[in-house]
Amino acid sequence: MALNVDFKLKAPANTPVWVDEAKCKSCELCVEFCPTGVLEMVPDPHNILGQMVKVSHPEWCIGCKECELECPDFCIFVAERDEYKFKKLNEVKKLKGEA
Amino acid sequence: MAFNYDYYLRTDKMPTLWCWGCGDGIIMKAMIRAFAKLGWDKNDICIVSGIGCSGRFSSYIDANTVHTTHGRTVAYATGIKLANPDKHVIVVAGDGDGLAIGGNHTIHGCRRNIDLNFVLINNFIYGLTNSQVSPTTPKGAWTVTTQYGNIDPSFDPAELAKGAGATFIGRESVAEAQKLERLFIKGFQHKGFSFFDVHSNCHVNFGRKNKLANAKKNMDWIEGNLIPKNKWDKLSEEEKYELKKQGKFPRGVLHQVEEPEYCEEYYKMVEKVRGK
Repeated sequence: MALNVDFKLKAPANTPVWVDEAKCKSCELCVEFCPTGVLEMVPDPHNILGQMVKVSHPEWCIGCKECELECPDFCIFVAERDEYKFKKLNEVKKLKGEA
Repeated sequence: MAFNYDYYLRTDKMPTLWCWGCGDGIIMKAMIRAFAKLGWDKNDICIVSGIGCSGRFSSYIDANTVHTTHGRTVAYATGIKLANPDKHVIVVAGDGDGLAIGGNHTIHGCRRNIDLNFVLINNFIYGLTNSQVSPTTPKGAWTVTTQYGNIDPSFDPAELAKGAGATFIGRESVAEAQKLERLFIKGFQHKGFSFFDVHSNCHVNFGRKNKLANAKKNMDWIEGNLIPKNKWDKLSEEEKYELKKQGKFPRGVLHQVEEPEYCEEYYKMVEKVRGK
């Protein structure tokens, strides 16, 4: 039985990760699960918990989708591999100066 | 091309009422991805939920939903499934809802082997009513009703379901959303009673006095208590017993057998009696 529904959400141009800030409750799960440190929490007085997630290093994203899978509030999304050219893990390490 | 959940959601009710970082949202997402992968139309799905934080599932998923009384989820779902044997009935219950007040209904659902999918969201506490002790609370844990540490031995829901006669039993945690999705796909396809023991976090009510007051910390504690099925099978009986005493559990598909399904047997009986 085929379901005729398109479950794909198109990514904005040249963006690996994007956040729907209206739904975000700033639980920090995406920040804690990200293996390369793409995301960070910044102070935001307009939010209940006083902070908001910010994509501060999009160039480090390896496209593992851990943040998207673990977000409980449907608000963080990761692009597919054909929409954005993700870095390899060793390239990210070089960029950070760890390798 | 991220995944768009909106087809299966009542988006006007968003954002959810759950606390920040609640595992219920992760389980709901995994469930929706499983529905999409299986290609189930939302008119063919029925979500039955009871009382508790898990009761909100029936408010947020846009399918046929029933929000029932406390603990009686399996009783309602049995009726729904018997009247509509071609629909997919998913029961969502918390550990207090499904094991304490509704424990009797749960074991008799398992015994009948009716084709229900029972998702037990096990967060080791009564989260909605502000942290009272539940049947799965670990020994020594602080709750408002066990202020000096819990002395009740906790029980293993998967062993209970196996003893009662469920034909598919799986256990997974919210920290591994992709594995959880795969487990849901396997269990939803199974014909018979599928029992999922999903370990979830409640860092607000369980964690605040048990030194786990952060969603990730609570998830790490849950992950530390789970041992993969293939590793678990290599252990001897004494080692398994010792680990169970320490509150460690195996994860993965724990039990899967084929048994006659209740609805089929029921309609066969109807045909037989009518034929006379």
